[in-house]
Amino acid sequence: MQDRPTASELLATIADLLEGDVLAATKGGLQHNVRVAGNLCRILEREAQLGPAHEAREIALLTEVLGEPAGGRGARELSAALCARLDAGHDAALERRAFPALLEIVRGKLAIAKPGHDDYDFAGEQLR
Amino acid sequence: MSVIDETSKGLAAFLSQQWGKQVAIENMTQASAGARRRNMLFDAVAGGERTKLVATIVPFAAMQLNPIEVEASNLQLAEAAGMPVPHVHFATSDTSCVGGPFFITTQIAGETIPRQVLRLVEKTPGLGAKMARQCGAALARLHSADAARAHPLVPRPAGHPLETALAVSRRSIDELLQPSPAFTLCLNWLKRNIPPAPKRITVVHGDFRNGNLIVGADGLRASLDWEGCHLGDPMEDCGWVVQRMWRFRNDALEVGGFGSVADMRAGYQEAGGEWDEARFQWWKAQGTLRWGLGLAGQAKQHLDGSVPSIVLAASGRRVAELEYDTLMLLRRGFGA
Repeated sequence: MQDRPTASELLATIADLLEGDVLAATKGGLQHNVRVAGNLCRILEREAQLGPAHEAREIALLTEVLGEPAGGRGARELSAALCARLDAGHDAALERRAFPALLEIVRGKLAIAKPGHDDYDFAGEQLR
Repeated sequence: MSVIDETSKGLAAFLSQQWGKQVAIENMTQASAGARRRNMLFDAVAGGERTKLVATIVPFAAMQLNPIEVEASNLQLAEAAGMPVPHVHFATSDTSCVGGPFFITTQIAGETIPRQVLRLVEKTPGLGAKMARQCGAALARLHSADAARAHPLVPRPAGHPLETALAVSRRSIDELLQPSPAFTLCLNWLKRNIPPAPKRITVVHGDFRNGNLIVGADGLRASLDWEGCHLGDPMEDCGWVVQRMWRFRNDALEVGGFGSVADMRAGYQEAGGEWDEARFQWWKAQGTLRWGLGLAGQAKQHLDGSVPSIVLAASGRRVAELEYDTLMLLRRGFGA
C-alpha cells in the first residue's frame, strides 16, 4: 500500500493547482490547454476511485451477453469478441441482450469521464 | 514582423493592385485560428472610403482539403441560390501575398461563438424559433442550387450517398485502437435500416451548425466554414445541425440549442425544400456515430505522435458521450 495521499487525492490536488494558480498565470491558447489538463486530472481522480469496480462490472456484463465465461480475458478482449459476434450476421436476440448491457457499460464510463452527460434521455427524439 | 503586420502588408498590396488605387489596411484582428484556416478581420481604406472585409487564409498550401477557389465557388453558388453567406470579393491561390492561398469576403457583424449566440437568443423573445426557421429556409435554398453547377473539384459520392457515409464509418470502426461494441451495434443497425437513396443529389454544406453561423438580434445573417462542402443527400445537413454537441447544454432544443426541429422543418418546407423524415433520422444517428469515431481518431493522432496535443488526447475520453448519444437515439430499434 502506498502512503497517503492516494492517487485520487493527488490528482485532485494537481487539478486544483492547474485550475487555480496555473490558470490565473497563463493566457491565450495555453489557458485552454490548462483547463483541459485540469479536467483530465478530474477524470483520472474519478477513475482512481471508480475504475476497478467499473471494469469488473464491464467484464461481468460482457460475459453474460456472450454467454461464455471470461476465461481470463479482460474487458478489451471480451469487447472484441462481442464486436466479432455482432458482425457475424444479424442476431436479433444477441442485439437485444447486448443493448442494455452496453448502455450500462457506457454509463459506467461516463460516471468517470463526464458525470451528468447521461441525465438527458433523448425523450421525444428517438426513431419512430 | 507579427502575423498581423505581415498580413496587413500583403493584403494592402493585393487590394491596391485589384482596385487600382492605394489601399491601407486598418484595425486588423484575428477572429479564429483553426488548424486549417486563419480568419483575419480588417478595414480596407481607399480614398476616404472604408470597407469591412475578412480574409480567410490557408496557412500552408499543402494543408488544403479543397483548393481555396473551390471553397470560394461554394460560397458564390450558395449566395446565388439565396442562402445568406458572406459575399466573395476575391479568391486567389497565389501564396506570395500572405503566405498562403486566401479569399476575401464582406465582413458581417454578429455573434458566432455558440455561448454568445445562445445568450442573445435568451434575451431576445422569439429569436430562437425564428432562427430555427431561418436555418431550415437557408438549407432549403442551398439544396435548391443546381448541383451540376458546383465546381468540378467539389467531392461527390460515388453512388448511394448513405452507403458511402456508412462505408467511411465502417472503416473508422475497423481502425479503432480499442473495440467499441456500442458503435458496432449502432453501425449494424444503420446498415440494416438504410433508407432509399434521395431522388436528387444536392450541394451539402457539410458543417452547418451553431458555431458556424453569424447571428444578430434580427436572426441568422450568414453561414460560415464551407470547407467541408460536398455533393450528397440534403438531409445530411438537416441531421447535422441537430446533433447534441451543437446544443451547448440546451439539450431539449435540438436545433443548435435554440430551436425545435418542427420550426426548422417548417422553414425548410416553406422555402421549397423536400423533407424526408426517415433519411433525416438516419443522418442524425450516423452523424452522432461519425463524430464519436472522429473523436477516437483525434486521440489516435495524439497517441501515434502525428499531432501531439492534450486537446486531442482529451478527445479520447469524450468517445463515451457519443456512444451514449448514439445508443439512446437508436434504443427503440433494440426494443429498449
